[in-house]
Amino acid sequence: MHLALTVNGQRHELDVEPEMPLLWALRDFLKLKGAKYGCGIAVCGACTVHLNGAAVRACVIPVSAAAGGTITTIEGLGGDHPVQRAWLELQVPQCGYCQCGQIMQAAALLAQTPKPSAEQIRAGMNGNLCRCGTYPRIEAAVKRAAELTADPQRA
Amino acid sequence: MLTRREFVVSAGGFAVAVQLPAAWAADAADAPASPPTTGAANFVTAYLEIDAEGMVTLHSPTTEMGQGTHTGHAVIVADELGVDLERVRVVTAEPADPFRRGGQMGSGGSWGVRHWYTPLRTAAAQAREMLLAAAAAQWSVPAGELALANGEVVHAGSQRRTGLGPLAAAAGRVQPPAAPKLRDKSEFRYTGRPVPRVDLAPKVRGEPVFASDIERPGTVHACARLSPVFGATLDSFERDTALAVPGVLDVVAIPGGAAVVASHTWAAMRGAEALSIRFKPTPHDALDSATISREMHAGLRAEAKAIKAREDGDLAAVFAAAKTVVTADYEAPYLAHAPMEPWNCNLEIDGDGIVHIWAPVQTQDRNRDAAAAAAGVTPDKVRLHTTYLGGGFGRRLGSDGIAAAVVVARAVKRPVKFLWRREDELGQGWYRPAQVARMKAALDGEGRVRALSIRTAGPSLGASFSLQGLPAGQVDGSSVQTLRDSLYRADAFHVEWVRVDVPVPMAPWRAVGATQNGFFMECFIDEVARAASQDPYALRRALLAHDPRALNVIDTAAREAGWDQPLPAGRARGMAFVASYGSLCAEVAEVSLRDGRPFVHRVVCALDCGSIVTPDGVRSQVEGGIVQGLSAALVEAVEIAAGAAQNRNFDRYPILRMQDAPANIDTIIIESGAPMGGVGEPPLPPIAPAVANALHALTGKPVRKLPLTA
Repeated sequence: MHLALTVNGQRHELDVEPEMPLLWALRDFLKLKGAKYGCGIAVCGACTVHLNGAAVRACVIPVSAAAGGTITTIEGLGGDHPVQRAWLELQVPQCGYCQCGQIMQAAALLAQTPKPSAEQIRAGMNGNLCRCGTYPRIEAAVKRAAELTADPQRA
Repeated sequence: MLTRREFVVSAGGFAVAVQLPAAWAADAADAPASPPTTGAANFVTAYLEIDAEGMVTLHSPTTEMGQGTHTGHAVIVADELGVDLERVRVVTAEPADPFRRGGQMGSGGSWGVRHWYTPLRTAAAQAREMLLAAAAAQWSVPAGELALANGEVVHAGSQRRTGLGPLAAAAGRVQPPAAPKLRDKSEFRYTGRPVPRVDLAPKVRGEPVFASDIERPGTVHACARLSPVFGATLDSFERDTALAVPGVLDVVAIPGGAAVVASHTWAAMRGAEALSIRFKPTPHDALDSATISREMHAGLRAEAKAIKAREDGDLAAVFAAAKTVVTADYEAPYLAHAPMEPWNCNLEIDGDGIVHIWAPVQTQDRNRDAAAAAAGVTPDKVRLHTTYLGGGFGRRLGSDGIAAAVVVARAVKRPVKFLWRREDELGQGWYRPAQVARMKAALDGEGRVRALSIRTAGPSLGASFSLQGLPAGQVDGSSVQTLRDSLYRADAFHVEWVRVDVPVPMAPWRAVGATQNGFFMECFIDEVARAASQDPYALRRALLAHDPRALNVIDTAAREAGWDQPLPAGRARGMAFVASYGSLCAEVAEVSLRDGRPFVHRVVCALDCGSIVTPDGVRSQVEGGIVQGLSAALVEAVEIAAGAAQNRNFDRYPILRMQDAPANIDTIIIESGAPMGGVGEPPLPPIAPAVANALHALTGKPVRKLPLTA
C-alpha cells in the first residue's frame, strides 16, 4: 500500500503494508535508527517517538495510523534540544539503548507540563524502562531540561 | 586483612564468572610492548592509532556496554600521553594478544579499569617515548630535550613544535621501550576529575551506534524462532507457513530452531511468529520452578553430598559449646539479564571467505571462535567488530547467538541482519542461577558470634557456562562467592556447597554469585543480631573488628545515613556489606511501605574501590547497580513451567520502573589507596539485603526469599 509519512518535517512516500508498525517503517525504510526495538508490545518505551506532539510507542502503532500525522523522531529533535542538553549535562545514559525513547518521552512530557513536579516526572516517565538503572539521573535531567526550556540562556 | 593477591585468588567467583582459565584471575604483566596488530602504518604500539591530524584512536581491550570503561581508558591514555581528552577516540579492538587477559579477550568481572589501568598507561608512555624519539631523529636533537603536552611535541631550545600526526608513522617504527617512564600524577589533567563520557553525545543524538543500526548493502533480515524449552533441538518446520507472509524469502534451520529470512525486519518477525515448527522432546519437558526449588532444598538435607569450600576452625566443637544457635534457610530465583537490546548482529561472508561480524559481545574470543567453528574456518578468517552494547550485564559473555547468524549467511549468501525477538532474549535462559542456603550461627553467652556454618545448594554456573564444564567433586566458585572469602571472622567458619544439576542454561549475571550469597549472608546477619538483641551495625563491626578498611566502609555508610538518628513512623533502615571484585561496599537503605510495596526513600552507598579514574563514572555505576539490584530484589524471577520460561516479555518479567526507583542515592567514594578494585559489580549485591533488612525492621518478619513482592 502506498503511504505518505511526514517525519521530522520531511514527507516520504512509502510502499509498505498498512499494518506494519511505525517502528519498522522508520528503521528499515526511512533508515532512521534512533527509535529502538525493545519489546514489541508497548511495555518498554525504547521505540518512543512523537505523533502530533504526543509520545507514542512506534512498535505497535500501524504505519497507516501515523500517515497523515506529524511524526518526530530523536533525529528530528535537533541535537541541541533542552532535553538533550540536560541529558549530556547530567551524563544520563549508560548503555544508551533506551535513551532515545526516554528523551522523546521527556520532551513530550515537558511540552505538556513545562514545570513538572518529581511525582509528575516519575509518573510521566514510568512507561520507559532502563536496565542500566539511570532513573535517578533521568529524573534530575528532566528537571534540568525544564529549567533550560524556561530560560534557554541559563548555562 | 587480605592482600589484593589473596583477594583476587580467593574471590573465585569472577574466574568462573567470565569463564576463563585460571590464568585469567592472575594479575597480568604491566608492559605491553606490542607491535600493531593490523599492519596499518599509523599505529604506535598495538593500542594507539594516530592520524594525520593528530587524532588518537585508542583500541581498547574492553567492550563498552554502558559501564563507561571506554571513557576511563580515554582518560588514562590522554593523561599519560599528553593530549586533550577530546582528541582521543575509543573503539573496541579486534581480538589479539595485547587485548587478552589470560589468553582471552572479554569484559567481565569488573576488570575494565582496574586491570587495564597500568597496561594502558604503560602503552601510552611507550607511545609518548616513541613519538619523542621520532621527533628527536627528525630534528637531530636529544629526545631528553623534548616534551609532549597538549598534543604537541615541543623542543623548548629551538621553539620547534609539531602535532603528533606527522610523527606517527616514524614513531611506529621505533622499538617500544620496555620500561617507559610514567608521568608524575601531578601532570594529569583528567584522572580523578569530572569528564564527559566519550560515548554519550552520539547516544543522546540517536546516532547509529548499535549493531542493529548498521546497514550493509544488500542485507537481508533474519529473525529467529527458537525452542522455548531449554536446549531442545529442531524437529521440523513447514516452510510455507512462513513464506505466506509477504516479504519472507526463506526459512533456514539453525541451532535450536529456525530463522525466517525476509526483505525487512517486520516480515522476518511476522514470519517467525507464523512459522509452524516442532522441536524434539527433551527429558525435561515437564520441568517447573517448584520442582527445581524442591530439588535445591533437598540439597540442604544432611544426607546430600556437600563439597567443602571453607573450613576454618573446629565447627562441631564451637557449636557444641554454643549458648544459642540461630539458623535460617534462604532462597533466590533465576534471574534474566534483560538487556534492553535483544540479541542481534550483522554478519557477512566476503568473496575471500572472510566472515565479517558487527555484534554486541562481551567476549570477543569466545564469539569469534564460535563463529569460526560454525563457518568451518579458522578464527583468523573472522573479523569481529564489537559495537556498543545495549546492555550486557553478563548476558553477552556467552556465544549462544552467533552461530545461527553464520548459518543463515552461508545459506542465503547475502549479508544478514540477524535478531531475536524479546521473547527469545528473555526465554533462552543463560540466567543467574537459582540457589538456596542454610545459614547457622553459634553464639556464646555474651551474644558474640563464635561460628558460622553455611551450606548453599543449587545448579553450577560453571558447569553450565564454562566451555570446559565443572568436574564432579569440584566446588563451583560462584556458588560460594563472597562466602568462602567473606571478610567476617569467627572462631569457626565453614562453607560448603551441594551441586544440584538443573537443565536450565546459566550465565554470569552482574555481580554473579555475590548477588544470591550477599542476600543470604547479610539478611542472616540481621537475624542473628535480632536473636542476640544487638544492633545489626554493631554486630557487623564486631565481625569485622580485625579489618580497619572494612570498618571504615561500614562506619562511613552508617554515619552518612544517620544510622542512630530517628526516622519518621513507618520508615526503617537496613544495612548490608558485601566485598566483591576487589572492592568493599556498604549500603544503608531507608524503606517504607507504599500501597503494601516497599519504597526506598534513600540509599547511602560507601564504596572503597581503592582509587578511581572517573568519579562520575563510578557514581553512575553505583546508581545503576543499586537500581538493578533493587529491581531483582523487588520484582524479578524467571518462572519455569513445561521446561520453558513462562515470562518472556516485560509484561510478565517486570524490571524496576521509575516510580519504584530510590528517591535518593548518596554515593561516598572512598579512595583508601588499596589496590584498585572493581566498580561495575560491587555496588549491586548489598542493596537487596539492605532493603530486606529494613523491611525486617519495619515489619518484624525476616525476609528469606526473593523477590520481595512475589
